[in-house]
Amino acid sequence: MTTLRVLTVDDSRTILAMLHHTLSNAGFEVLQAEDGKQGLDVLKTETVDVVITDINMPVMDGIEFIKNVRATGNHQSLPILILTTETSQDKRDQGKAAGGTGWIVKPFDPEKLISVIHRVVH
Amino acid sequence: MSDLDDFKATYFDECSELLTELEEQFAAIEAGERDADRLNAVFRAIHSIKGGAGAFGFSALVGFAHAYETLLDYVRDGRIEMSDDVVALCIRANDIVADHVKAAQTGEPLPADYGMDEKERFDALARGDAAPGDDEGGDPLEEFDIEFTPVMVNLDAPQAAAAGEAPVDDAFEASPMQVEPGHWEVRFTPHRALYARANDPLLLFRELAALGEMHVRAVLEDIPPLADFEPFAVYCSWEITLISPALTEAMIREVFEFVEGDCDIAVVQLGGAAVGFDIPPAAEPAAAKPSAKAMLAANQEPDPADLLALADDEVASLLDFDVAAPAAPQPAFAPEPEAAPVSAQDSFEQAPGLSFAELAETIQPSPVARPAAPAATPLRAATPTAPSEGEESGGNRSNGVQSIRVDLDKVDRVVNMVGELVITQSMLTQQMDETLRARYTELVRGLEVLAQTTRGLQDSVMAIRAQPVKSVFSRMPRLVRELATKTGKKIKLETIGENTEIDKTVIEQLSDPLTHMIRNSADHGIETPDKRLARGKSETGTIRLSAEQAGGNILIIVEDDGAGINRERVLQVARDKGVVAPDVNPTEEQIDQLIFAPGFSTAEALSDISGRGVGMDVVLSNIKKIGGSVHVRSWTGKGTRMTLRLPLTLAVLDVMLVKVGESPYVVPLSSIVETIQCSRASFERVPSGGQVLQVRGEYVQVIDLARRFEMVTETDPENRFVVLCEAEGSAKVALIVDDIIGQQQVVIKSLEENFERVDGIAGGTILGDGNVALIVDVQGLKTTIVHKNAA
Repeated sequence: MTTLRVLTVDDSRTILAMLHHTLSNAGFEVLQAEDGKQGLDVLKTETVDVVITDINMPVMDGIEFIKNVRATGNHQSLPILILTTETSQDKRDQGKAAGGTGWIVKPFDPEKLISVIHRVVH
Repeated sequence: MSDLDDFKATYFDECSELLTELEEQFAAIEAGERDADRLNAVFRAIHSIKGGAGAFGFSALVGFAHAYETLLDYVRDGRIEMSDDVVALCIRANDIVADHVKAAQTGEPLPADYGMDEKERFDALARGDAAPGDDEGGDPLEEFDIEFTPVMVNLDAPQAAAAGEAPVDDAFEASPMQVEPGHWEVRFTPHRALYARANDPLLLFRELAALGEMHVRAVLEDIPPLADFEPFAVYCSWEITLISPALTEAMIREVFEFVEGDCDIAVVQLGGAAVGFDIPPAAEPAAAKPSAKAMLAANQEPDPADLLALADDEVASLLDFDVAAPAAPQPAFAPEPEAAPVSAQDSFEQAPGLSFAELAETIQPSPVARPAAPAATPLRAATPTAPSEGEESGGNRSNGVQSIRVDLDKVDRVVNMVGELVITQSMLTQQMDETLRARYTELVRGLEVLAQTTRGLQDSVMAIRAQPVKSVFSRMPRLVRELATKTGKKIKLETIGENTEIDKTVIEQLSDPLTHMIRNSADHGIETPDKRLARGKSETGTIRLSAEQAGGNILIIVEDDGAGINRERVLQVARDKGVVAPDVNPTEEQIDQLIFAPGFSTAEALSDISGRGVGMDVVLSNIKKIGGSVHVRSWTGKGTRMTLRLPLTLAVLDVMLVKVGESPYVVPLSSIVETIQCSRASFERVPSGGQVLQVRGEYVQVIDLARRFEMVTETDPENRFVVLCEAEGSAKVALIVDDIIGQQQVVIKSLEENFERVDGIAGGTILGDGNVALIVDVQGLKTTIVHKNAA
C-alpha cells in the first residue's frame, strides 16, 4: 500500500505537531505549511492525496487557500478537509462554498480524524 | 504520554509567542489603529490559544478564551464597537488569558471564579449589542459549555483505524438507534458542486457498503449520446438499497454529511418487506450487449449507455483503473472541458484497434464513466484502496516547512567554531610571507577563497542568531501603561527601529536593563501632568525608545521629555552616601553618570516602581557583561537621554591592527572614520595644554595611545599615524599610533573574565600568530579624557 500524502495547513504549531503525530502514526506521509500561501507553494511542487487546512490563518486564510487550490488546473479533484473549531455552520459553509470537501472539528479525536480522511480519499 | 508532553511544550511556546503578539497588537490598537487586520490578528491569536487548550483539556482556559473570542468576533463584525472601554477590557482579558496559560503550564489552578467578572462583562456586551432574536445572541458562556467540552486525546489510538477496515464513525454509536430491522432505499442524485468539491460517489458507496448489504443501480436514462455531452453536466444518479437490521436514517444521512446541499438525497424505509432491490438489466452482466471491442471492431459509434453497461469484468477493469488514478481530474471539472468528449469520440473513430484499457482511459474524462463504475459492483465492506500513483522515490520530498527550530546551544557551538576558524584562517594568511606567496600561487589563491568562504560562513551563522529587537520592545508599551497608571502620570511611548536585528544572546540580556531604564524615565523623568502644564509642556510626557545600527554597534536609546536629572540632588545624595568624596567636584556629565553608581537611589520615598536602589547600577553591570556601554545625557527641564551601545555580535569583530610601542593593539573597524599620516595632519595646541587635530574645519581631541598606555615609543613622530575614530553621538577622537599593520577579524575575549578590567581597553583577542592584542575602547578613552580635561 502506497503511503498517502497529507498536506496540513495551520498557523498553530501545536495543531501542526498533533496532526503530524496522529497522521504519521497512522501511516500517512505528512507535509506542513503555516498559512495558505505556503500551502499553495507546497502544492506547486508536491503531489498530495488530501489537504487538511485551518480557516483562520494570517497571510492567506483557509477560504482563500481553498479557492486558489480549486482554481489551479490539476487540483479540482483534490480532497480538502477544513479544520475548524467553529461548530457554527457559517465558517463551514464558507469553506464548502469555496470548494472544501469536508470538515474536521477541533479538538479532533485521532480515530475520527483518520476515518474522515478515509471518507474523502480513495 | 511523553508525546503529549512534547505537544504541550510546543503549545506553551506558541502561547508565549501569541501573547507577545497580542501585546504588540494592543499597543497599536490602543494608539488608535483599529483596523480589521489587527482585530483579525488578535482574534487568530486567541483562537489558536483556545484551539490548543481544547486539545489538552485545559477547560478553564478554553472557557475564558471562548468567551473572549466571542466578544472579539462581535467586535470584528461590527456588532460591538471597539471603544476605549472595550480595549481596556481586552487588555485585561489578555492578562487573564496569560494567567490561565501559566496556570495550565504550572499545574497550579487559579481560583474557580478567576476572570469571572470579565467573562460577565463580555457576556453583557454581547447581550447588549446583539439584536434580539439573533441566533448568536444567547449566553456565550453557555454556548461554550455545549461546544467546547474538551476532549482528551488518546494519541496512540489511530493505528487501529488506519490499519485496515473502513472505519465506522463513532458518531454512529452516539446517534439514537431505532433498532428496527429494515430495508432502506436511497435515491442519490449528485450535483455538479459535489464533484467540484472533490467528493466522490464511489467513496460514499464504500462507506454505505460498510453499513450493511448494499445494492446499487445506476440511473442512466438521462445520459445523452456521446456527441451531445455537455462536459460540465452531471447525468448520472443512483438508487441504492441497504439491508441491515440496525440501520437508521441518521446513519445513512451521516454518510452524506459532507455532500449535503450538493446532491439530492431521498432516504425511504421500505415497509419492512424483505424484498431485494430489483437490479435492472442495465447494470447486470449483459452478455447480449456488444462488447466494446466488438463495437470498435465494427467501427460503430458506441452509445455511452452501452459502454456503461458493459460486461462485468470489463466494468471491473474500468473500476480498477478508476481507483488507481484518484488524482486524475474529475470529469466535470477538467481544465479544458470541451476537449474531453470530442477527443474521446475521435479516438473511437480513429483507433478501432484500441484495447479496453485504452478505451477506458479515453472515456474516463466523461462525467458518467467514473461514477457509473460502482453501479454494477455490489460493494461490501470495501477496503480503502491505495493510489498507485505517487510512486516517486521518497528521496526528494520536501515537506514545506519554511523554518526549523534549533536548540540555541547547537548554534552557539557553530558560532564558536566559526570564531576559531576565523582565527586559523587569518593565522594561515599571516604565515604567507612574500617568498611563499611567490612560490605557491595556487596555495595563495586557495587561501583567498578560504578567507572569502570563512567570511561568508561567519555572516550566515551570525544571521541565524540575529533577531529583531521587537521581541524586547514589544514588552515595553505595557510596562509604560502600568507605570502611567501607578504614578498618575500621562505617558506616551514611541518606539523606533524595532526591526533592527541584534544577536539573540544580546537581546536576552536586554530586557532587564531596558525595563529599569524605562521605569526610571517614567518614575523620575516624566513629571506629573500639573507640573508639566505649569512648565508649558504638553500634559502627556513622551518616552521614546529607539534602536539603530551604527557600524558594528547597536544603539538603543531611551529618551524622555521630562525634568532631566536633578544634578544638585544627585550630587548631594552621592556625597551623603559616600559615592563621591567631599573634595571632588564632578562635571555635569559625571554627575549624570552617577545614577549608575552601585547602591545609588535618589527617590525621597522609595516608590513602588523604580526607587529600590537596585535600579540603574544593575543596568550598567548587565550591559557591561555583554560588552556594551551606557551613556546618559540630561538637559535640565527638557529631558534625559540614555544610550545603550551594544555590540552587534558577541563573537567576532572587524578590527584594524595597529602598533603602539612594540605591542599590537586593535581598534574596532566600525569606529574608525579615517587614518592620516602624522606628517600630513595639522595639530594645534590648545590653552589647557592638550593637543587637537584639525580635520576639515573640525577640531578633534587627540589621544596619544603610547602616552595613554604608558608605552615607550621610538618611532619618529612624523612617521606615526592618526586613527580618527567616532565615539558616542558622532563625537570624534584622534588616536595616535605608531604603525598600522592591517585589517582583520578577531574573536573577542573578555578581559574581566580572564584578567581584570582595564580602563581604555574593551577586551583582548588572540591574533593569528598566537600573540594577544588588546582592543582599544574608543568610547571609554574619550570619556575619561573628557573628564580629565574638565576636572
